[in-house]
Amino acid sequence: MNTTAAVNQGGPLITVDHVNKHFGPAHVLRDVCTHFNAGEVAVIIGASGSGKSTLLRTLNRLEKHDSGRIVVDGIEVCDDLKELDALRSEVGMVFQQFNLFPHLTVLENVTLAPRRVRKTPREQAEAKAMELLDRVGLKAHAHKHPFALSGGQQQRVAIARSLAMAPRVMLFDEPTSALDPEMVKEVLDVMKQLAATGMTMIVVTHEMGFAREVSDRVLFIDQGRVAQDAPPDEFFGAQRNERIRTFLGQIAN
Amino acid sequence: MSQGSFRVWPADWGRQQRSSATMAAAGVVLVLMLWLMAIPMAWAPEPIGNNAQFFAEGTRVTVQLTAIAAVAGVLIGVLAALGKTSKWPPLRWVASAYIWVIRGTPLLVQVLFVYFALPVMIPALQLSDFTSACVALSLNVGAYNAEAIRAGLLAVPKGQVEAARSLGLSPWFTFIDVTFPQAFKISLPPLVNNIVALLKDSSLAYAIGVVELTNVGNRIQAATFQPLPILLTSATIYLLLTTVLTQISNAVERRFDVEGRVA
Repeated sequence: MNTTAAVNQGGPLITVDHVNKHFGPAHVLRDVCTHFNAGEVAVIIGASGSGKSTLLRTLNRLEKHDSGRIVVDGIEVCDDLKELDALRSEVGMVFQQFNLFPHLTVLENVTLAPRRVRKTPREQAEAKAMELLDRVGLKAHAHKHPFALSGGQQQRVAIARSLAMAPRVMLFDEPTSALDPEMVKEVLDVMKQLAATGMTMIVVTHEMGFAREVSDRVLFIDQGRVAQDAPPDEFFGAQRNERIRTFLGQIAN
Repeated sequence: MSQGSFRVWPADWGRQQRSSATMAAAGVVLVLMLWLMAIPMAWAPEPIGNNAQFFAEGTRVTVQLTAIAAVAGVLIGVLAALGKTSKWPPLRWVASAYIWVIRGTPLLVQVLFVYFALPVMIPALQLSDFTSACVALSLNVGAYNAEAIRAGLLAVPKGQVEAARSLGLSPWFTFIDVTFPQAFKISLPPLVNNIVALLKDSSLAYAIGVVELTNVGNRIQAATFQPLPILLTSATIYLLLTTVLTQISNAVERRFDVEGRVA
């Protein structure tokens, strides 16, 4: 585990307790119980349709869970708008398709939420944004619009945009799956750098190298259940689960 | 012509500057035209020259009708589009019924209805001819605008709302800062279509006695029996007005065109 895990000694930062979720007749999350500690990098892997993205999206209520409880930093995930907005401003999210706001410049993308939600004055928000853009290597692109950037650059802006809210945890939903191979590295490098700062991260990904190298825990989701929850060396080492071995073999090819 | 005006500005001006300059110039042209058009028209032979003031007044009324109904119509259109895309069924029903009725009946009937039939139902709503025309035109263009704006709202990818909400933006700021600007950009060409149509449709106000451009032409024609010069004059004035309107709307479209996709 990371050294910063001591930040929240009162218990885990996120608790997922007997959570179920259906999409029509499909039972996509089946009685999921797990937790995520502060300062921890958890990687969620699993086959397409296994429910890994859905699990991630229930954590900030982009998907509603049907039963069970999810508590993030002491706030229960529910439908109360005020609580939900408070929760969401503590939980950053990075999407597969970047979802930058195309009508705003890079700088405006990063400053929008701090200015609107935290009521940060413009100059202060812009100074902070430039610092974050510098961190992800895009300071020179601050006044461009997203369409003028490559996919990898857009995803790094999206990370900076989330970080501008100074979240307690960052959720990544397949952040490199829509990228050309040569751009995957630049995004993973930013994520590694972020992990090194002690940020709590939950990452849904197919990047096994990242999972092995950076994560503290690997969760394997299979048919809506957490089939395995293990440290990476154990998970990628002598894997005893036949199904996971097959999955890892398919990914490697 | 529609593109040319945008290229007259200095090459080093930005997109926003050019857009603002075009809007300002078109606005000035419009005001000057409304204010001073009677002077050059007075040089024309009869029956135009001696009726120049009358044409100028009719043009001003036409522009007033159009401007009021355009602004009200966009507001109504936004509200009706929000109603029709609402999660709350009664709002959807009200918005759908409004659009259904307005689009399914002739504008002329709507104009006559507001002026003659409304006060029969509700005596307090005895409106002047000009106000009645404004109300009928606003409601009419509002229904068409609603569908244009609804199409724009639906065209904004779901991921945009998810990104905004996951940043902690409230539903209000998500709409104001993220959804609406993108939807409006998509809706702009059909909205402009509706407003150009509105400018011409405002001529139906003559049916309830509003002395706008078409009515002016009709009255002069009734007195002089010279349809050709009079209708040519009216048509030319409408054409000039729609030309100015198109310039303004092109400038607005370019203002939103961050990707440089408008040729």
